[in-house]
Amino acid sequence: MKIKTLILIIAFLGLASICLGQEDYLILGKEFKSPERPRVIFHHDLHNEKAHIENCSVCHHVYKNGKLVPDESSEDQPCSSCHKVHPVKGDNPISLREAYHKRCMGCHLKEKRGPVMCGECHKANNEKKSK
Amino acid sequence: MDKIYGFLIGPGAWIAFSVFILGCICKIGAIILATPKKDRVVLAYFSPKYGFRSLIHWLIPFGTISMQENPLFTLVSFAFHFCVLIVPLFITGHVVLVETFWSVSWWTIPDKLGDILTLIVLLCLAFFWGRRLWVKEVKFVTSWTDFLLLSLVTAPFLFGFIAYHGWIDYKLMLVLHVLSAEILLIAFPFTRLIHMFVGLLTRVYIGSEFGGVRHVKDW
Repeated sequence: MKIKTLILIIAFLGLASICLGQEDYLILGKEFKSPERPRVIFHHDLHNEKAHIENCSVCHHVYKNGKLVPDESSEDQPCSSCHKVHPVKGDNPISLREAYHKRCMGCHLKEKRGPVMCGECHKANNEKKSK
Repeated sequence: MDKIYGFLIGPGAWIAFSVFILGCICKIGAIILATPKKDRVVLAYFSPKYGFRSLIHWLIPFGTISMQENPLFTLVSFAFHFCVLIVPLFITGHVVLVETFWSVSWWTIPDKLGDILTLIVLLCLAFFWGRRLWVKEVKFVTSWTDFLLLSLVTAPFLFGFIAYHGWIDYKLMLVLHVLSAEILLIAFPFTRLIHMFVGLLTRVYIGSEFGGVRHVKDW
């Protein structure tokens, strides 16, 4: 009886650790129909924890008339709601590709932390995970 | 490695492009200004007809007798020069870097095509290396500077090719790719690489000098 209970406890703990250990990630770049490089896997929560980012508007910013509106956040919207893949006249001139690279790589270079080389984010096996 | 890369694509790129652009302008300017002093005859008897006719012929594959006499070299040379310009100017990775820092972007070639064109560049370079090493009349006029020039051009394409495929050590290969490319840019004004710009001037000069003379031994 004791052994059975022990096995059950171990099995439960094992299962729980697998479930809890699995971190949700985002696939960035789904808007691009046939991207040149593999789409990017982004561990949102893990990133913010590591980067000590608590203010959503650091990335989910709001611009009005070309000026940053401080403390206002657009966290309920994806980047592509403002940054189009192919901006036309009247759209935000910063394309989605430019916005992603500016936001991610620009910050990593500034902070001297995080991936900055193409292949560090655009990994070949990302495409399998994104399907 | 990320910090070295950060330096190379930031201050490193500024240094490399500054030396490349300013150095090339100074070099071209110096050559143009020196011409009236060094060779007064060429300007006095300059023939635009023969000069520009020669330039046009030399820009067209198999457009000259010399090229027709050396078909393999002509083919390799044109393939090389076409690819060596197209790949760095229109590969997506480069355009994305400029776009990220400068908000300027332009047309790009698909990565798979870039991969093939890079392979063509490397094969052509192997041909040039082989020519310098084993073809008797070429070996005779070859010095260590020729191998240095070939190394300068080979390195960025080779490291770029390896890095793109993720072979060996991706980060190290990419750093070596950018570093060797910046050394290549810095070397431009001080080496025969300047022929990229000056070659056009010398071709018009030679064309004007030779006029209608044909069948000149031109290696």
